[in-house]
Amino acid sequence: MEDKRIREHPVLEFERGHEIHFDFEGEEVKAYKGETIAAALYANGLVKFTESKHHHRPRGFFCAIGKCSSCIMTVNGIPHVRTCVTPVEEGMKVKRHGALPEFPKEVPPSSPEAKESKVDIAVVGGGPAGLSAAIIAAQHGADVHLFDEGDHQGGQLVKQTHQFFGSHLEEAGTRGIDLAEDLLREAKKAGVNLHPGTTVLGYYPEKTLAVESKNGLEIYHTKGIVYATGAVENYLAFENNDLPGIYGAGGVQTLMNEYGIIPGEKVLMIGSGNVGLIVGYQLLQAGVDVVEVIEAMPNFGGYQVHASKLRRAGVPISTAHTIKKALGTDRVEGAVVHVLDEDWQPVPGTERELECDVICIAVGLHPDNQFVRQAGAEMKYVRELGGFVPIRTEDMETTVEGVFVAGDSAGIEEATVAALEGKLVGCALVERLFGTSDEISDMKEDIKAGIEQMRKGPYGEYPRRGVKLCTLDEEVC
Amino acid sequence: MTDYKETGILSLDDIKKPSEDRLKKGPVVVIECVENIPCDPCVAACPKDAISMDEITDIPSIDFDGCIGCALCVTECPGLAIFVVDCTSDPCTITVPYEYLPVPEKGEKVFALDREGKRVQVSKVVRVRSSGKTYGITLEVDRENIWKVRGLEVKR
Amino acid sequence: MTVMICRCEDITEEEILEAISQGYTEIEPLKRRLRIGMGQCQGKTCIPLVERILARERCKKPEDMDEPTARPPSRQVSFGLLAGDRDE
Repeated sequence: MEDKRIREHPVLEFERGHEIHFDFEGEEVKAYKGETIAAALYANGLVKFTESKHHHRPRGFFCAIGKCSSCIMTVNGIPHVRTCVTPVEEGMKVKRHGALPEFPKEVPPSSPEAKESKVDIAVVGGGPAGLSAAIIAAQHGADVHLFDEGDHQGGQLVKQTHQFFGSHLEEAGTRGIDLAEDLLREAKKAGVNLHPGTTVLGYYPEKTLAVESKNGLEIYHTKGIVYATGAVENYLAFENNDLPGIYGAGGVQTLMNEYGIIPGEKVLMIGSGNVGLIVGYQLLQAGVDVVEVIEAMPNFGGYQVHASKLRRAGVPISTAHTIKKALGTDRVEGAVVHVLDEDWQPVPGTERELECDVICIAVGLHPDNQFVRQAGAEMKYVRELGGFVPIRTEDMETTVEGVFVAGDSAGIEEATVAALEGKLVGCALVERLFGTSDEISDMKEDIKAGIEQMRKGPYGEYPRRGVKLCTLDEEVC
Repeated sequence: MTDYKETGILSLDDIKKPSEDRLKKGPVVVIECVENIPCDPCVAACPKDAISMDEITDIPSIDFDGCIGCALCVTECPGLAIFVVDCTSDPCTITVPYEYLPVPEKGEKVFALDREGKRVQVSKVVRVRSSGKTYGITLEVDRENIWKVRGLEVKR
Repeated sequence: MTVMICRCEDITEEEILEAISQGYTEIEPLKRRLRIGMGQCQGKTCIPLVERILARERCKKPEDMDEPTARPPSRQVSFGLLAGDRDE
């Protein structure tokens, strides 16, 4: 079998666990401890994970971070397992399933009565926003519990191999992967109770969360909840858009930078915002050919410096271009792209075929805020922030008392702002729990100034305008 | 302003260049950063305070006379947009940021690339600096190519 | 020609347009008719696309569209977790 694992990388070192073996459709597959099932299959060139339920279309993974559920398979007899967040284990039996998977033959294992606990703060999501909120609250004496679905925390920082922009005082120039480690270390030091591999199932009245942990169902009664659930990648409608080989940019990053597996040999990048440009560059660093970056707008969207890195490596960027269809039957074998006119209509005669085995979709993100909606928070569509976002106070509290948001789930921006918003929420929670102090109010002022700094300039215009549209002038409640 | 937002390629008109007089005096920085993005590690990297900005979103303002061409900023710029040119030697040299594998060695012959990734000439590597995982590679280039060469490709 | 919109419930753009032409012109009825947004990902992937199609077909702005109701559980849950045999 082929091996798509990266052995040498200019920035990253991949620490793989010991070699293990599992069964996929009766075939033995080699994996390394620490890989997810999806990553291990992909590393071995197995890209078709399942078949769609009505149209019987081949499916691979898409988001690779447990959000889209495109990668579900039957694992050890249990159907609908998200293989992109499930660690691979020795001797595991993994099977594809189609429309209706086989019902598990064994009686579900006994699970103990749901354990109920009373805690101060629950934070959902272990990225820069969630960790930052948890750290501040815990440092000031709160009993903080942080839940994350992934086995390791740090959110999307862990796959950011580039140096961060922003102020050198706010960790610019540091790579995301190092930032994640710093935050985790600080969280542990501050006494945050970290719950990796734990899924929050829902919000229930009076700030109660139902959580699925490795020990079964758990109920947390809290005094305050922070939703730092991040974002979901936007999907794009075009012919054959669900073929294995078509992945979200975040999915490509996860595979490549977290698990050290190349997504393919030749990648077509759709979208030229900073995500598309940065992931394009990271693909080159991993030794993958980026055949072209296409962008529907007349100009590329990201920073010129990011575009220049790609151009310097010989990658063409085609503006006013879109994808018409993906080619291939079981997986991507190419793409047809064409030019768009000023009315977004295809220009006849401009169609061209590109050879590629991966189409990477980087057409923006939208906030992942199901939980905030479950809690009954008032929402508003704010185009500038990527979609529906909760109405919030300056301290990032939603219209539901004690329910806060931070980071991309409050509106799409970038990691530095997410961390700062998390800190701000942390301060607000400390005030709520223990009353205010000079130290806390000073800190809040500093953080707010920091956020304002990050939103300056032409690239900050969108979030600046967006945040205004959904932030209440005065404190509610 | 040229059409760099369509092409991703800056023209010489977009860039602040040191004067011919300054070029004769010693190595000097060229910063190819033309947008108001919130970023300032170059300011902190400069030991001579020759790079400054009032607001974090300002375009870096360069004091070419204060710059000593030390190239410390080359590896600190997250945008990989900083270069150092030296026209006092023959051939001239240019220091470019580099984050790929393999890393070229001192003395090695590599292809010098322009802003579109096209090969401009074969160049000898005269110095390899690193800060973290970002390298600053100094290449020998012909005088007429100092405003063209902005990257490199290892020949191996 | 397949343009997939809801990956989980396997619903194409064509199927959505057909339902809209049958009178399912709001997000909630459309969701009940086709199960869009009710699969494993709970609409995380498809809902923005569905909203866009609805807005386009009804000549409205995305700002004027409704969001579907969110209910727990947000993830697929095993029978074992909620109703496993608890008799010792």
